[in-house]
Amino acid sequence: MMFKVTTEPLSIDEAYAAVRRDDCGAVAFFVGTVRDHHDGKKVTQISYSAFQEMAVKEFAAIATEAIARWKVGAVYISHRTGPLKIGDASVVIAVSAPHRAEAFEGCRYAIETLKKMAPIWKEEFYETGKAWISG
Amino acid sequence: MKVIVQLFGPLVEQAGKTRLEVEGATVREAVAACGLKLDPSVRFALNTDYVGPDAVLKEGDVVSLIPPVGGG
Repeated sequence: MMFKVTTEPLSIDEAYAAVRRDDCGAVAFFVGTVRDHHDGKKVTQISYSAFQEMAVKEFAAIATEAIARWKVGAVYISHRTGPLKIGDASVVIAVSAPHRAEAFEGCRYAIETLKKMAPIWKEEFYETGKAWISG
Repeated sequence: MKVIVQLFGPLVEQAGKTRLEVEGATVREAVAACGLKLDPSVRFALNTDYVGPDAVLKEGDVVSLIPPVGGG
């Protein structure tokens, strides 16, 4: 298990190593990446900011709930902050479980709940102007 | 009760600062003391937990104003 908010590039290898277990036959991943458009506008850059201590606590709470509901083995959640370029990974989630159904369910729950609850903010920059994006 | 109010995201731009020191016995009072015009979508945290506006404060607590989040 590992939960973090970091300005460093995210690592899928780190996520895999954090959740892989001998009693789990499945690892599901979700990777969020910076998209080059939003509502018809060309996105040039994104910047994420976070209330770091609370975000990490929310990640841990998400993992606790995923374990309780789907008996998943382990959960990894990492979110990047600071300026990101198009194509950069902004979030990496990995969930291990004895079987794939629980791994997929737990992973889906983790990203959906993170998007609603984690105190993280996204500012998109366009060729002209910028905007705070929620949801 | 003297407490810190932390601001994040768009609220930092609105207020021109990241934290304020205010007086208040509850989250509602501390938030009102900030004098900010807040959208009803803004949530509150006391230290690192979401709370409602009636949460009671102790000296030195940190109240955070959580505008709509956009992680992921």
